[in-house]
Amino acid sequence: MPPKRKAPGTQAAAAKAGRTSAMSTPGPATPRSIDSSVMSDADEDFDDDVSEEQKQREERLTKEADEFVSKFTLGAKRLQSHPDEKGREPRRYDAATPFFRKRDFSHLPLKPDHQNRPLWIDPDSCTIVLERFNPLAEQATDFLITIAEPKSRPTFLHEYALTPHSLYAAVSVGLRPRDIINTLDRFLKTALPASVRREIENHTRSYGKVKLVLKHNKYFVESVDAEVLQTLLRDPVIGSLRVHGSDKITTSYAPTMAGLVIPGTQNAAGVHQANLKQAEKKPSEPGDAANEADLFNALNEEDDDDDKEAVHAFEISDNNVETVQKRCLEIGFPILEEYDFRNDDVNPNLEIDLRPNTQIRPYQEKSLSKMFGNGRAKSGIIVLPCGAGKTLVGITAACTIKKGVIVLCTSSMSVVQWRQEFLKWSNINPDDIAIFTAESKNKFSGSTGIIVTTYSMVTNSRERSHDSKKMMDFLRGREWGLMLLDEVHVVPAEMFRRVISSIKSHSKLGLTATLLREDDRISHLNFLIGPKLYEANWMELSQQGHIAKVQCAEVWCPMPTEFYDEYLRASARMKRTLYAMNPRKFQACQYLINYHEARGDKIIVFSDELYSLKQYALKLKKVFIYGGTSQAERMQVLENFQHNPEVNTLFLSKIGDTSLDLPEATCLIQISSHFGSRRQEAQRLGRILRAKRRNDEGFNAFFYSLVSKDTQEMYYSSKRQAFLVDQGYAFKVITQLANIEQTPDLAFATPQECRELLQRTLVDNEKGGEDDIETDDLFGKSRGGNGRNKKLLPGNGVRRTAGMLAELSGGQDMAYIEQNKAANKALKKKAKAAAGAEGQSAFFRKLQREKERSRAQARAG
Amino acid sequence: MSVAPQSYQLSDYLEKLPGTTFRKLYQQPSTAFAIFRRMLPPLAKIFVQALLYMPSPLLLSELDVWVRPEAKMHRDRALSILRSLHIVQISPPGKDKPQEIQLTTNFKNSLRLALEGGGTHNSFGVPSTLPVDPRIDIAHLDQYARKKWEDILHYVVNSVPVHAEGGGGGGSGGGPKASVKDLLLAGRLVERRPDTRGGVAITQAGFTFLLQEANAQVWTLLLLWLEAADHSKAAAAAAGDHAKGAASQGKPDSIDMLSFLFMLASLELGRAYDTDSLTETRRNMLPALVDFGLIYIPREDTRQYFPTRLATTLTSSASALRSVSSGFSAAAANNPGDAASLGMTPDTTPTKGSLIIETNYRLYAYTSSPLQIAVLALFTQLNMRFAGMVTGRLTRDSIRRAISFGITADQIISYLASHAHEQMTRAAAAAGRPVLPPTVVDQIRLWQLENERMRTTAGFLFKDFDSPEEYVSLSGYAEEIGVLVWKSDRKRVFFASKFEQLRDYLKSRKKAE
Repeated sequence: MPPKRKAPGTQAAAAKAGRTSAMSTPGPATPRSIDSSVMSDADEDFDDDVSEEQKQREERLTKEADEFVSKFTLGAKRLQSHPDEKGREPRRYDAATPFFRKRDFSHLPLKPDHQNRPLWIDPDSCTIVLERFNPLAEQATDFLITIAEPKSRPTFLHEYALTPHSLYAAVSVGLRPRDIINTLDRFLKTALPASVRREIENHTRSYGKVKLVLKHNKYFVESVDAEVLQTLLRDPVIGSLRVHGSDKITTSYAPTMAGLVIPGTQNAAGVHQANLKQAEKKPSEPGDAANEADLFNALNEEDDDDDKEAVHAFEISDNNVETVQKRCLEIGFPILEEYDFRNDDVNPNLEIDLRPNTQIRPYQEKSLSKMFGNGRAKSGIIVLPCGAGKTLVGITAACTIKKGVIVLCTSSMSVVQWRQEFLKWSNINPDDIAIFTAESKNKFSGSTGIIVTTYSMVTNSRERSHDSKKMMDFLRGREWGLMLLDEVHVVPAEMFRRVISSIKSHSKLGLTATLLREDDRISHLNFLIGPKLYEANWMELSQQGHIAKVQCAEVWCPMPTEFYDEYLRASARMKRTLYAMNPRKFQACQYLINYHEARGDKIIVFSDELYSLKQYALKLKKVFIYGGTSQAERMQVLENFQHNPEVNTLFLSKIGDTSLDLPEATCLIQISSHFGSRRQEAQRLGRILRAKRRNDEGFNAFFYSLVSKDTQEMYYSSKRQAFLVDQGYAFKVITQLANIEQTPDLAFATPQECRELLQRTLVDNEKGGEDDIETDDLFGKSRGGNGRNKKLLPGNGVRRTAGMLAELSGGQDMAYIEQNKAANKALKKKAKAAAGAEGQSAFFRKLQREKERSRAQARAG
Repeated sequence: MSVAPQSYQLSDYLEKLPGTTFRKLYQQPSTAFAIFRRMLPPLAKIFVQALLYMPSPLLLSELDVWVRPEAKMHRDRALSILRSLHIVQISPPGKDKPQEIQLTTNFKNSLRLALEGGGTHNSFGVPSTLPVDPRIDIAHLDQYARKKWEDILHYVVNSVPVHAEGGGGGGSGGGPKASVKDLLLAGRLVERRPDTRGGVAITQAGFTFLLQEANAQVWTLLLLWLEAADHSKAAAAAAGDHAKGAASQGKPDSIDMLSFLFMLASLELGRAYDTDSLTETRRNMLPALVDFGLIYIPREDTRQYFPTRLATTLTSSASALRSVSSGFSAAAANNPGDAASLGMTPDTTPTKGSLIIETNYRLYAYTSSPLQIAVLALFTQLNMRFAGMVTGRLTRDSIRRAISFGITADQIISYLASHAHEQMTRAAAAAGRPVLPPTVVDQIRLWQLENERMRTTAGFLFKDFDSPEEYVSLSGYAEEIGVLVWKSDRKRVFFASKFEQLRDYLKSRKKAE
């Protein structure tokens, strides 16, 4: 079982292999729950009604991922504990040493010119500290972002950590262990500790050595190290799977980026012009270096030895790919997938290019250059803050590969947005880009094209309709050049597994803003999609003006005594309702809305807690959207929020957390949230990062988090902020809002009102169940009915009815209620009245027209 | 009970002294000279210089002519200081006679003597005529003084080096002498706390002490010492009349002590002085001064003493001596033989900060001085240490711990601000923001406020009831009569502010049963 390998690594590898096999004893797969909190608001439900075969495949993938993950966790453990070895400097001891326990590394001697070097490293945990004010900081940052995981990136000193994952990612983008060690050593103030060197060597030795490449639509296992290939071939499983007739190991030369131009970049502009004219002549250009590698190298063998590296490969057949992949993982050579799309002549090319005026930003270029580093497409994840143009990165990747693309999003709302973005940024023929959602199931007309769909549509295998089934067969039946996975962080790992096992794609690109999960499932993504290729620095982007500058504040709202009493007694669920319904919080919210509306801001208010969402929105007479809001109504509300100067505040439940594109929003208030979820906090902040006005002089977006003092919220709040704070955001604590008591019509100003609010809250939530949809219907009906005759529709809604006095005074189950109408309904009315009026975007107008047409047809038919 | 944050400033101390004491003090030319050098603002010095050789008193109105009208405030301040130190006399305003100003006789004579030299007062020390050991050079003295002083500071921050491998220290092995420790305890710079390492912990006053300039620190300690001497003298005087004479002779007089300190300040660094020429009381002071690190006496030859830089800079202007922080940077050079590091650094580099505090509460300090690290450890959760840099972070717990020692949030903030790294100051200046991230400052304050929300109620806990009914009835009764503070029905305990009525109630209830 232990792999045969070059001498120095044998021991470690044997130990590792042994441990891995111990871990992979068959047993029940680790339990994992679908992250219901995230997905429940999505349009469709996921059902577990999956075919047997599918299940088996998924189980297999689960197990593999677990092995993969456990291997890394073992590795991580090893990173921390090693025995003290000789060759170490003797540790010094002084009065301050006890404060650091084992983390006193002052014995490591500084290099004489340490002033000019920006890094320190902790030899045990491999934590790296970077001086941002050092002259070499820029280069060091670029380097570190490739090899290490950013931990803390505020203003002056950054911290990174070398992890097995990050090293794996570094290798996969083409860094060699030697380069990593040398560069690191160059940047370090101290000599590179032997332990770190060993770790890097250990973790990079096997990773990235073996690549799976699809060339001329044949799968090749490729490696720069012939011996590694020999090892693989000697392996009984892999050896037997080699395609016969290709006995020799073929040797060619490593691909370079030569000739590959990522569209949208600076140097693309010129090439682009040339390409347009010479589209036909292209194959003969030297750009296709890899294609003619042999010939090319025969000519330049001597000269180019340094630049080009020999690679060796053997072929395996298509249906054995998975087996080989798995086997390679088992014997400690995880396979990297690469797609040599330029030499793929089986899959038809897609006519797509970025529009000539489209320029991508430097960091987008940087992230893409990681993906296409050697002229082939690598699979992986790119992490960019919300609003920093993830979509454009995806589109550019698609334009680079120019093959069939499948885009997976989280909701049908973002499906629409993705399609629009494609049309906006690229010259793709609108017929070549199709949408596959519950509502529309189109195919593209040509031989290849782009399909935009949701995760749930693809994973939903229940026979919903004939159309869907046909569509799924279509998706399954072909090879895709690129699979774009939007918001990878929200989707449960199973879902990916289902997607990946059912749809074949040559490369996968995951996009997200926050590669964070409170459970530790992120590592599974590394297996299923690929390593993290790039992670941008939020603060830097905001300083460069790519995303908005944000002032963050945490507003502490004390709880009135009655509320607090009740809070202490209440059940966990009721507690959450209570701290969301805290009247002081309500007042703070009201105050902030007034204040920012007066400034001309567009405000989004987030609440996870549906009850309080509605209460707040109704009381403040604002529009709101939550999971139960119909698609049409959502559109209506959003459209108004964007274009109607009278609708400046929008209440959103957690459905608005991700992929909702509202560049108008400049202020965000959070009244309740999902426990300590760092991801949600970051995602919500992302809603205002793309603010249209971000480049105005002195513009600031505002992010308020309202927390009830002395409740669990305080604790959660500090947890939630951890990620953003480590990105360099500073949360100012506000304990007192100036002149809040002077707010006109301040709600719940008297103790009496507070008590009433408390009683109502308790009564309304007595059942405790989360029957959101149902209660909402009730609300919708009653409030909507009342709303109809309010002042927004003057002269129209007066209704005369006969009744008894008893009815009005509370007899016969009738009671006085406050006539807070749902602002949503009012909007709807108004919008209908002025359907198609100016101020609406073309898209919505069109949508509206289509809807009316279909309605008319239905009526006619 | 509560000790107000005392600031032991020399000026405060002197201003409290009566006029007679000053007259005695000014008999020594060195004292007059030292006071002139250290205690006076520039304008006051000019006045003194002008008046010094004036044969007759000057009209106050003439003095006013020297000063621009807009600087009247400075003039008033200068005059008030001169008067409070009994350096000048101003005749009382009269109807016919204009006000006159002149130097007090003793001060004038002594200062003249000091400037002109001459006389047999030996006020500026008597150099030793004995051969001097060549090993005792300035570097040696600096190192010695630094060691002594840092021992004291270490003791205050409660991180006396305990050599784990040495083992035999027996508790009092490291750190300053017991007498110094007692002095620090008496001055409430530290207090006994059994739960801490070494049994003592820093107090608020102690933290203030740490934040001072080294010069001010030395004075603080010396003044504590003088006060202690006064106390013991008073105690001895009260003990019995028969011992009165002996007491006043044997115990050093604080005035004499003070003038001796002023004399030390006028000595020359690196030079040996004669102990034999000192009076009895002054010779008695030497051991304590050795403990403080102000003077050095070679073990083999006790007839010589060497003032260290701590002593000779006593009366130079405050910034001329290294502050704690610059001392850190000096120590950061990490070169024990570096003679220049002790006193010279401030001259070349103005106090260079070393702390970087980030918005995510991480703290980085460019230092390798155990002392500064120990100070940081008072309110920081330290994490890693490299050569020349330590990392840590401010956490709620670490700040709370500091606050439990009596250190205030403001003290921590001012420490962070005054030691901020130049990068921070530069960035702040460029962006027009405060040096410290405002969120961090706020948070530190909020953490302090958090601790102050606790209200204590004295009272009695009732528990272990015989039966649930007993609990219900008694707690119900307590609630009725309004003494119930808190209760837990689940645990069947309650807390009441008074117990007498409850006791009676319980008795009567028992009786009824």
